[in-house]
Amino acid sequence: MTNNYMTNYERGEAGMGTRSLSMMMALLASVALAGMPGCSKKSVQSGGDTQSSQQSTAKSGSMDSARSGVGSFPDTSMQSGGSGLRGLDKNPAEERIGSGSGSEMGGLGGPGSGTMLAKADPSGASKRQLEEMRAEAAASAAAGLRDVFFGYDSWTISEEGRQALARDAEWMKANTGAAVKVEGHCDERGTSAYNLVLGEKRAKAVRNYLVELGVSANRLSVVSYGKERPFCNEHAESCYQQNRRGHLVVKSGK
Amino acid sequence: MNRRKLVSTVLGGVFLIAGAIGILESGAADVFLEATRPDFQKIPLGVLGIQNNGGPEWLGGRLEEVLKKDLKRSLVFELMDLPSLGIKVRDVGNGAGNGPKAVFKQAAENGVSVLVWGKAGLKEGEKDADVNMEGFVYDSGSDEVVGGKRYVGSPSVVRLMAHRFADELVFRYTGEPGIARTKIAYVSAQGAARELFVMDYDGYDARQLTADGFLNLMPRWSPDRRFLVFTAYRDRNTQDIDMIELATGKRWTLVSFGGLNITPALSPDGNFLAFASSHEGNSEIYRLDTRTKALQRLTVNPAGELSPSWSPTGRELAFVSDRGGGPQVFLMSADGSNVRRLTFEGDYNAAPAWSPRGNWIAYVCRTTRKEYKLCVISPDGQKRMQLTTGGGVDDSPSWSPDGRHLVFSSTADGKSHIYMIDADGKDLERLTFDGTHNSAPTWSPAS
Repeated sequence: MTNNYMTNYERGEAGMGTRSLSMMMALLASVALAGMPGCSKKSVQSGGDTQSSQQSTAKSGSMDSARSGVGSFPDTSMQSGGSGLRGLDKNPAEERIGSGSGSEMGGLGGPGSGTMLAKADPSGASKRQLEEMRAEAAASAAAGLRDVFFGYDSWTISEEGRQALARDAEWMKANTGAAVKVEGHCDERGTSAYNLVLGEKRAKAVRNYLVELGVSANRLSVVSYGKERPFCNEHAESCYQQNRRGHLVVKSGK
Repeated sequence: MNRRKLVSTVLGGVFLIAGAIGILESGAADVFLEATRPDFQKIPLGVLGIQNNGGPEWLGGRLEEVLKKDLKRSLVFELMDLPSLGIKVRDVGNGAGNGPKAVFKQAAENGVSVLVWGKAGLKEGEKDADVNMEGFVYDSGSDEVVGGKRYVGSPSVVRLMAHRFADELVFRYTGEPGIARTKIAYVSAQGAARELFVMDYDGYDARQLTADGFLNLMPRWSPDRRFLVFTAYRDRNTQDIDMIELATGKRWTLVSFGGLNITPALSPDGNFLAFASSHEGNSEIYRLDTRTKALQRLTVNPAGELSPSWSPTGRELAFVSDRGGGPQVFLMSADGSNVRRLTFEGDYNAAPAWSPRGNWIAYVCRTTRKEYKLCVISPDGQKRMQLTTGGGVDDSPSWSPDGRHLVFSSTADGKSHIYMIDADGKDLERLTFDGTHNSAPTWSPAS
């Protein structure tokens, strides 16, 4: 049935007849039904999730070395089945609603009955990151590194940007021990996701130009922050142009 | 253009016919389809009230308010105003005896198909703090009190009691689990950092999940609702795709290639992670088998590819590519074959989200006035609608599991906040009011 849907789907052009269209839509409708959660044949009721996740972690761990960059993690296959709803009853049994009781959810404590949620644990991470960022900002200010600014939707380096990077390249040649991180930033317009791609294009454009000017590529790293770390927050072009930038930071440590 | 319009009108008509055929052919399960049809008649339902029976002063009113809002948002029921119909809201007990019978008769004569009421109070004999709720349902079709529910719990779960009762009603009349117990995960600014949060689908009870002090972006749920996958920055310099277990806060790093590692999305069966990574040059879409850890590259193109969104069958992916200039939405099979462009109107279309019913793909469309708004398009490209209008940047649409609502972020009110809207563009509702920045909402699967 599904294969029929696929082929009909591909042929779903404007010129096709009403009859085949109606068949296509009927098939499409039934496929949509087959895809409904709860109809999935993968829905297997499972109880003791902690144990099973530990087992799968151990299993996957053995394959981990095969591919760097892919970590080991628990099984994400669909495990909980059923809606947790019991239906109306003329003489209903009492159901306990609680955060973390989880008894109605096959022990999973899903969002059905008051989700068990772990408390976020700051554990000093925020503080450490703040201190490191301050140190980087101070080192970058002392070096006098200049940033590059971009046009709307653009990752082309302007003449002004080239002049800034010429000075940055001189500094890097004079300070051979320093490593520089190029951050790509975007203004708030557009989607978060696409701005991460745009930010990387900007950061790479800056890096590539510095390499052209003779800076060794292995002293340069790039990272895109998209529109997630803006320099200002107003909804105006004067602010937007501040946020469309390649920001150069002297890396501390590694 | 005329021809295209004509075709889309014909198609709309055909869809109704096809829907009817579907119902004839495959029986009971087709109530799913019925409730998304444009001519679907909502079920007239009246809430008589939740009588406070010795609990905290706010108890009955709170339960009634939450229940009514849930039933309205379900889009399955039409909430009837009982006083204006001349029906007095009064205690009908458990529905037994002749007194309630008169009320039921009056309601039925005024077109109310379902009557709901209940009582709430302190749970006797157990922990002092516990409260309970009893709910009752009268159905004019069978002319009887068809049943009820009894819930008990601490006062902190009162909203959940109402949510659960609402979902039981939706389940009874549609066979669907309802969305009142679903959650929305999102990103919220904490100082200059962005951390993951989870709240109830109606914006209440927000909880913080991460506290890294840097950026955590674009969460997506695992199909069993136990995990979120998202982009994190290790020591601010490189991106990982991480997974967090909601119940424990335990974290794993799934993917840590160099470069971008963004827009993760687990397949509907949970067996594959699709994501975008630039570790081989520019951003491409990859598919990781979460059991074997086998990695497959799905796109090969000098342009940027990102934002994979699975079809509900798991057989296809919508994604964004900027081949040809600006970003546009494309479709492909889950093995990377059969790539075709879906969006052609406008020069910027991104952040696709495939509806859980399969019949729409929501995305962010840039209008001719350079505003970023929500659009939906059918997977065959024949039908397209702009859902939101006005100023501000709309972003990150995510479907409710029943396919009747979208949650998204918007700067329409200044700061970025989270909003809900019906799939037809009606009933815009703001969900977050606190904080300086809330974004990247993602709706949990139904339980």
